[in-house]
Amino acid sequence: MSQTSPSSRRAVVVDHVTKLYRRYGRKHTVGSLKSALLAGRARQSLSPDSAVPALVDVSFEVTRGETVGIVGPNGSGKSTLLKLLAGIVRPTDGRVAVEGRLGALLELGAGFHPEISGRENIEINGLLLGLTRRQIAERFDEIVRFAELEEFLDAPLKTYSSGMAVRLGFSIAAHSDPDVLLVDEVLAVGDERFAHRCLEKFAEFERAGVTLLLVSHDLALVSDRCRRALWLDHGRLLADGPAAQTVARYRERVAREEGKARLDEGGGGERGRGGRGEGRGDAGTRGRGERIGSGAATAEGVRLLDAGGRPAGSVPCGEAARLEMEVHAAAPLSDFVFGFAITTVSGTVVFGSNTDLEGFEPVQFKGRAQVSLEIPSLTLAPGVYCVDVAVHARDGAPYDYRRDVLRFEVTADRPSTGLWSPPRRWGFEGAIAWKK
Amino acid sequence: MQRAEVTSTVYRLPSSGPAVITPLRRAWRQRALVVALTRRELAARYRGGALGYFWSLANPLLLLLVYATVFRLVFTPRADVRPYSLFLFSGVLTWGFVSSALLDAAETFRANGPLLRKTTVAPEVFPAVAVGARLSHLLLALPVLAAAILVAGVLRSVSAGPQALAFPVVILLLALAVFGIALAISSLAVHFGDVRDLVANLLTLAFFLTPILYPIDSVPERFRPWLRANPFATFFSAVHDSAFFFRPIPVADWLWMTATAAVCLGVGAAIFERLRDSIAEEA
Repeated sequence: MSQTSPSSRRAVVVDHVTKLYRRYGRKHTVGSLKSALLAGRARQSLSPDSAVPALVDVSFEVTRGETVGIVGPNGSGKSTLLKLLAGIVRPTDGRVAVEGRLGALLELGAGFHPEISGRENIEINGLLLGLTRRQIAERFDEIVRFAELEEFLDAPLKTYSSGMAVRLGFSIAAHSDPDVLLVDEVLAVGDERFAHRCLEKFAEFERAGVTLLLVSHDLALVSDRCRRALWLDHGRLLADGPAAQTVARYRERVAREEGKARLDEGGGGERGRGGRGEGRGDAGTRGRGERIGSGAATAEGVRLLDAGGRPAGSVPCGEAARLEMEVHAAAPLSDFVFGFAITTVSGTVVFGSNTDLEGFEPVQFKGRAQVSLEIPSLTLAPGVYCVDVAVHARDGAPYDYRRDVLRFEVTADRPSTGLWSPPRRWGFEGAIAWKK
Repeated sequence: MQRAEVTSTVYRLPSSGPAVITPLRRAWRQRALVVALTRRELAARYRGGALGYFWSLANPLLLLLVYATVFRLVFTPRADVRPYSLFLFSGVLTWGFVSSALLDAAETFRANGPLLRKTTVAPEVFPAVAVGARLSHLLLALPVLAAAILVAGVLRSVSAGPQALAFPVVILLLALAVFGIALAISSLAVHFGDVRDLVANLLTLAFFLTPILYPIDSVPERFRPWLRANPFATFFSAVHDSAFFFRPIPVADWLWMTATAAVCLGVGAAIFERLRDSIAEEA
């Protein structure tokens, strides 16, 4: 045989794949074989009225042992891609090939039956995942141990909590010892501890040379866990490259769309905008618009001004910016602190300070007032950031604490990773040559 | 050593191999899963233990009681079909298998939609399970039939003979034919909402056009070829031959049953293969 040719190292080949989902018109949903036969057009009745493209001319290859994340908004074709790879649906055009034993974790515990015991369900689920009866018997104890369900093995599955069922489903799949594993948004269920065990198992797979394709809305997970990421949008492959870069570009797009929506809404910062926009990467990881406090003082009208003093949804990296809020004390206060914080969308605090930390000693605050914080050079890395504002007492007792009250985007000509994008200069000495 | 699996997961267009054979081969390859899912069906139904088993017999026994009573009160059965209740027993039991398996097949993809969409299971498995589960019910009821034959034998109402052993073979051939029809029905039902109603109505019609309540030779000679065109007719004639008259099944009938099973499997598999790709999308 030939030596390690590039093709023998490929685990997944997707070659100019297009997938159209058939859409049937009214005649079909009414769906009558009788009328079709009577009219003598059974064949035509089976042909679709129109087709919806789920994937359009997508091509990529995955090398054996690679961990690849797939990101994109809902309806972008991510799940269709996994279903094609799993062989559940076939491409309308193009070619899909998966080399080696395939494991698909498209839904944990798909195929569990509530009336029969955990033991019997393990067997059926194992068979569904392509294990033989002997393999199931060999791995049975390990599956049960990993799922921590020893005592419940003979109870019918309907007596399990959803967490238990999820653990069992994952454990069976994790022990089906695939060469290529497809995972669709599975970590979104289950508790923190379970999520950690899943990640450990994934790391184990990676060391064992298992090829992993992971669809996830958790962008942090994708950029942490995957070397490479694909970005799908409306069925097209928009980006394929190092995970951090792909995720950064995807975030940028989401932010731009959000920013546009924000400006359309009229400057933003007000309440009543929870949960819009499905495409947002880290939605739900933080209490968006969360507001706590006694109300002895309130903060309103939070906005970001650009270098020219105009309210802005985005600021070029390195330029001046100014955060402002209008504060109001219901009754005169002598104990008060004003604060601003800038965080990432996923909640990491990038910057935070308040008047107490900066050494301002409160005397009196009454009625309406304005607080602003000027930043001469906003050297944040390009991306989307959130603003938290606070008015509280010096012991921390909140008057008004508002999380994620405003989002803005930092733009730059060139992407960079991380959170900080300082002014910088590259230097080279010796025999290094660059184009131009 | 990976090569064999490689070819099995490369999806070529158009699909390779003779269309008629592929669904059958896939179902056979997944037989462990078919058996496990069939056992699951039975286990879920017999959760009540012995009582569950009793209930699965209750329906055919009740039907039997009704037919036996009504037909004896209203008509006088011919002398050669007495005891009439025993004559009815094997046919009604077997028809119960045919009709329930085909009705289940019409719904199996809707009932198993999540499995089809979320796992890599071959869709052929589900009609196979629908037929397998109903076949198991029939087999579980056989001891009751055997007991009835023995009692009748002891009472000298019939003279039971070894010809009864042909009965399971007839059932096996019938099950193959039913599986073929189930393949067609299940895949068509994904596309057409009225398949189940259509099947239910056709089954009612077929019940009377099949020699179940009457022996086939009570049909006037000139109609018999037409009756034979009903794919089930010969099977039920053979059921009566083996489990009631205890006489050998004519060779021509064996050949006809084998041919019927082969044609049903072939046509059913061809229809299934034609519609297969859309099952996971439409179910």
